[in-house]
Amino acid sequence: MTSRRSSSATEQLIDLVTNTADPGYAAAAARRGASPKRRRIDQPAVVLGCLLIGFTLAVAYVHTHRSAPEAAKVHNSLVVRVKAVQATGDALEAKAQQLDREIAKLRQRALPRTSLGALQGAQLQAGATPAVGQGLVVQLANPPQPTAAASSGRPGSTPVYGAQLLTDRDVRSVVNELWHDGAEAIAVNGVRLTPTSAIRFAGQAVLVDFAPITSPYTIDAIGDSDVLVTSFADSDVAGRYHTLTSVEGISFSWTQEQKLHLPATAAVTPRYASPAPTRSSR
Amino acid sequence: MIAGLALIVGVLVGLVLRPTVPHVLEPYLPIAVVAALDAVFGGIRARLDGIFDAKVFVVSFVSNVVVAALIVFLGDKLGVGGQLSTAVVVVLGIRIFGNAAAIRRHVFRA
Repeated sequence: MTSRRSSSATEQLIDLVTNTADPGYAAAAARRGASPKRRRIDQPAVVLGCLLIGFTLAVAYVHTHRSAPEAAKVHNSLVVRVKAVQATGDALEAKAQQLDREIAKLRQRALPRTSLGALQGAQLQAGATPAVGQGLVVQLANPPQPTAAASSGRPGSTPVYGAQLLTDRDVRSVVNELWHDGAEAIAVNGVRLTPTSAIRFAGQAVLVDFAPITSPYTIDAIGDSDVLVTSFADSDVAGRYHTLTSVEGISFSWTQEQKLHLPATAAVTPRYASPAPTRSSR
Repeated sequence: MIAGLALIVGVLVGLVLRPTVPHVLEPYLPIAVVAALDAVFGGIRARLDGIFDAKVFVVSFVSNVVVAALIVFLGDKLGVGGQLSTAVVVVLGIRIFGNAAAIRRHVFRA
């Protein structure tokens, strides 16, 4: 019983492969007999069927090719928008700095000498004016990326070495160490740090005050360069990154500079904080 | 001759209108395509065999699409839609290849 059933299933499969013609045609031909007479409906039926088939094929083609590049299109338009907005941001930043310079010029003319000096000191500390001075430059960089040929593993998975080794934490610890060692003004990759600056991590990039920066990270600090160098070389932070240099292959170095130029950032106007009344003014 | 013209016109209509496929019908599109190709190759083979019949041609196409879609629809409801649509494509694909081989024998006598 079971053998017969299985043999009939096998026959069906063999039949499926060997006898591919639609039996309907043979049956219809047998019904018509030897003398085929043409019906009037034949030609329109064939035309209609072919129209339908062609339409189906075209719709499938259009559908496949419309949905496939859709993702790429969205991605491209996003890239274009991001770049446009970045350019706008840069232009606005430049304009703000130019306006700041104009304000400084006008202020110089308007203010008396004594208050001008106090103002300039405050601005320098706030990072609102460019700063010049001796100091220390610290360089931190991710290990060089291995070549694409060396990569292996499942497509779509991020290899370990593809991940960024250095994150915001590393930049932050170096910056904090430099403040601790007596730096008076610091810029990271050309972004001047202010009292409200934040160093954060978003995706693959380190954000300094919302400006994305990537490896290598250059941290310029103005201060007494001799003190900076000796304190920094002595610190835990420098020791840690020295160890990482030999273990993980990151690059880490510092140099003493006689003249450093730090850029200004657009002044941040406090909106909520106001000066507290002092005792003497009451 | 006229069948080929109608096929081309159908393709052009589809390309010009570029209709959007409703989301509900999307899973049945590949099956409709395979059924359409099966009908075309089956029809050409029957024509070469001299037993072409318009009624069989149209009915086989329409019923193939409808039955295949029904099977897949049922499979979707029962959680085996993907497998059943593979089965439909395999069966119709075998027929397409067989018919293509028969056409080749007719045309090239080889």
